[in-house]
Amino acid sequence: MSLRNLFEWVDAFPSSIAMRESLYAFPVLLTIHLISLATFAGLVMMMDLRLLGVAYRGTPFSEVQGRLFPWQMAAMVVTSLAGLLLLYAQPMRYFGKVLYWIKMALLVLAGVNVLLFHFITYRTIDKWDITNPPVAAKVAGGLSVALWACIVAFGRLTAYDWWTYE
Amino acid sequence: MLLPFFEWLDTLRVGDWISTSSYAAPLINVAHILALVMVFGSLLIVDLRLLGRGMTQQPVAKVARAARPWLIGALICMLLTGIPQVLSLPIREYYSPFFWMKMRLLLFTLIFTFTVRHKVTMADEARVGPVWGKVVGLVSIALWAWIAVEGRLIGLLS
Repeated sequence: MSLRNLFEWVDAFPSSIAMRESLYAFPVLLTIHLISLATFAGLVMMMDLRLLGVAYRGTPFSEVQGRLFPWQMAAMVVTSLAGLLLLYAQPMRYFGKVLYWIKMALLVLAGVNVLLFHFITYRTIDKWDITNPPVAAKVAGGLSVALWACIVAFGRLTAYDWWTYE
Repeated sequence: MLLPFFEWLDTLRVGDWISTSSYAAPLINVAHILALVMVFGSLLIVDLRLLGRGMTQQPVAKVARAARPWLIGALICMLLTGIPQVLSLPIREYYSPFFWMKMRLLLFTLIFTFTVRHKVTMADEARVGPVWGKVVGLVSIALWAWIAVEGRLIGLLS
């Protein structure tokens, strides 16, 4: 089954059609998606500012990261679920959008950035927890800011028919 | 009462460059949402702390002082990207109940944030007690989230 078949298969589900035809599903889901994404990305940005060494410098990085982590994860779960439901309701609307697929690719890159940081740079945390983070940490923080800003931007821009194909 | 003002805004055609360009409005809206992300982040890091969550090993005042320039900067960006959006469609905004609800809430919430919330975050925690901090944190989260919801609905339902 190709990706297109998969999207078309979901598109024909009665529950997908019902959500697509509902007056309320789209505005309600989109609003939940927005609020939870602002919570998630906002708290990630605050952590990244500490990683870049430009804010919350009086607080150890491990504390900023560890204390915000559960809230970031909770908001990420909500925004992902709302996003998946938005996709479930209109799979063929998003299938042909280049910006949607770029957003998905950037999500993967953001995940890779987190893993690389966690398994490589964060291992030396004891050396820079309370001081200015090393270049590798700042690169991870800068990449995180750029990637999440693009993910949010491309998500919003899927509302328009830019780079949309059949 | 304000209709003549909004009709006048419409005749100014300042917003024309936005409504005639197919890129201006979407890109200004994207910038508005990115600023919203920064507003939420710099508010929540403090409001969570007020609720006794988040960075609990740091004093509230310290977290609030560190977050403040980012909050103010992000709010200025919100304003700079919000005003052109009103100027580009003044009549739609005038007839949108969500726009007026958002503006009322915004006025109230800005006053609340820079008076009550500011005072509570800067006060000696032992003297204020934990209850006021929690009330202010919850009210702050509720008000700002409500503003974002109304803002989203202007575009969706107006």
